[in-house]
Amino acid sequence: MAYSATLIDHFRNPRNAGIMRDPDGVGEGEYKECMDLARFYLRVSDGRVVEARFQTYGCGPTIAASSAATELAAGQGLEELAALHEASVEAAVGGLPEERRHAAEVVALAMRAAARDALMRLGTTRRPGMA
Amino acid sequence: MHPRVYLDHNASTPVHPEVVQAMLPYFSERFGNPSSVHGFGREAREGIETAREHIAHFLRVGKEEIVFTSGGTESDNMAIKGVAMARRQGHLITSQIEHHAVLRTCQNLETLGFDVTYVAIDGFGAVDPDEIRRAIRPDTILISIMHANSEVGTIEPIREIGRIARERGIPFHVDAVQTFGKVAIDVDGFGIDLLSFSSHKIYGPKGVAGLFIRRGTKMVSVQHGGEHERRRRAGTENVPGIVGLGKAVEVRARDMEAEAPRVTALRDRLWQGVSARVPDVRLNGHPTERLPGTCNLCFKNVESESIVLGLDLKGIGVSAGSACTSGNVEPSYVLVAMGVPLDWAMGSVRCSLGRGTTAEDIDYVVESVAPLVGKLRDLSPAKA
Repeated sequence: MAYSATLIDHFRNPRNAGIMRDPDGVGEGEYKECMDLARFYLRVSDGRVVEARFQTYGCGPTIAASSAATELAAGQGLEELAALHEASVEAAVGGLPEERRHAAEVVALAMRAAARDALMRLGTTRRPGMA
Repeated sequence: MHPRVYLDHNASTPVHPEVVQAMLPYFSERFGNPSSVHGFGREAREGIETAREHIAHFLRVGKEEIVFTSGGTESDNMAIKGVAMARRQGHLITSQIEHHAVLRTCQNLETLGFDVTYVAIDGFGAVDPDEIRRAIRPDTILISIMHANSEVGTIEPIREIGRIARERGIPFHVDAVQTFGKVAIDVDGFGIDLLSFSSHKIYGPKGVAGLFIRRGTKMVSVQHGGEHERRRRAGTENVPGIVGLGKAVEVRARDMEAEAPRVTALRDRLWQGVSARVPDVRLNGHPTERLPGTCNLCFKNVESESIVLGLDLKGIGVSAGSACTSGNVEPSYVLVAMGVPLDWAMGSVRCSLGRGTTAEDIDYVVESVAPLVGKLRDLSPAKA
């Protein structure tokens, strides 16, 4: 199976791997058919992601896509990230073989969940009368 | 630049230089059709018959009991369907951990009205001969058990099973693709009636294999056409391939005895090295009754394909136990049948060593595996 140089680079040198203390948003995505699990942590400032970190169990493409997605998320608005499409994740790792498309799916699912979680927490802290 | 280390000999092997040399004249010089009566044909025929003699001598069987095929899969199909179709109905016994060439052939026979018992195996991947004895019915027409499992390397108690088959007068097929040329096979002593063997697992070319058929075994052809192979397998013979297989067997007969202890020691060095450096790793298969070169490892809570990719980037070729196809991961059916828990089975990696493997190769693999598994576990969320 041929993987892109970008994918291999992310697998070899994962960016932003590991847990984040006191994140502003956390989200998971699971792909039950292959037991892949991705989790993202987001640090947010002014409605934009300033840092994203990941923890992932899965095959090489899922680990690489998680790493690429943390770079993709940095600087993005939460609303935008909550609508992240798997095609964007796939593009960020330089494409995926047909039988590994699930990597982009599980990663996009987890990132959207993290963005929604951050939006929810933000909404909670900005309740009228609290600001 | 990394060294390149090939630890996937159960999948395929490099063709031995002596085998290449033996094959070369049969592409452009002795290219005739072995069925032709002229000199060109006779030269090709001579190549085939010399190969047949080497193999018959190696197995200590009659020359006319060897049939050449296109691969282990065809040999298994020929043996099982050939025996079943000659009887038109009946019951077959096999195990849950056979190669798909046996399992799916048996499943196909079930759709045609045959009954099949798939006997369970123990935690080491071994068939209990008593299970075979218990599964026998008055209408049992074939017992098919592999000599050694390709994934975990466990060597099955073929002698005991053969004795049971012989007592009951039931034909006994052995898929010996993983043992032929690696461990001793006593065809008569083991009571074997049909034996599948392959070329590319023993440093011969791909696309050629064989089946030993004991004289008097009642079976029909499953491939129809010309009169080749004593009307048992129609189709012009793969002459260079057969010549290569014959040479590969000749070389194995010379080298295998000395090679087995060397490869076994390297296999054990690999397990000792990995288990000393990596926590939560287990060795699958029988501790001693195992193929000399097979070391199947499970790393808990790591996905096997990520290990295979990580090692590939270090120039190391091993195979993943769990296969991910179209987004569905199937843990190895062999490990599942052995009762290996899922969180272990998902992280299985098979290393299979061969004649070219060195101690330096093994040490490089051990040095590469430990940090890789550690890194993959660090990346993993707590749940995994």
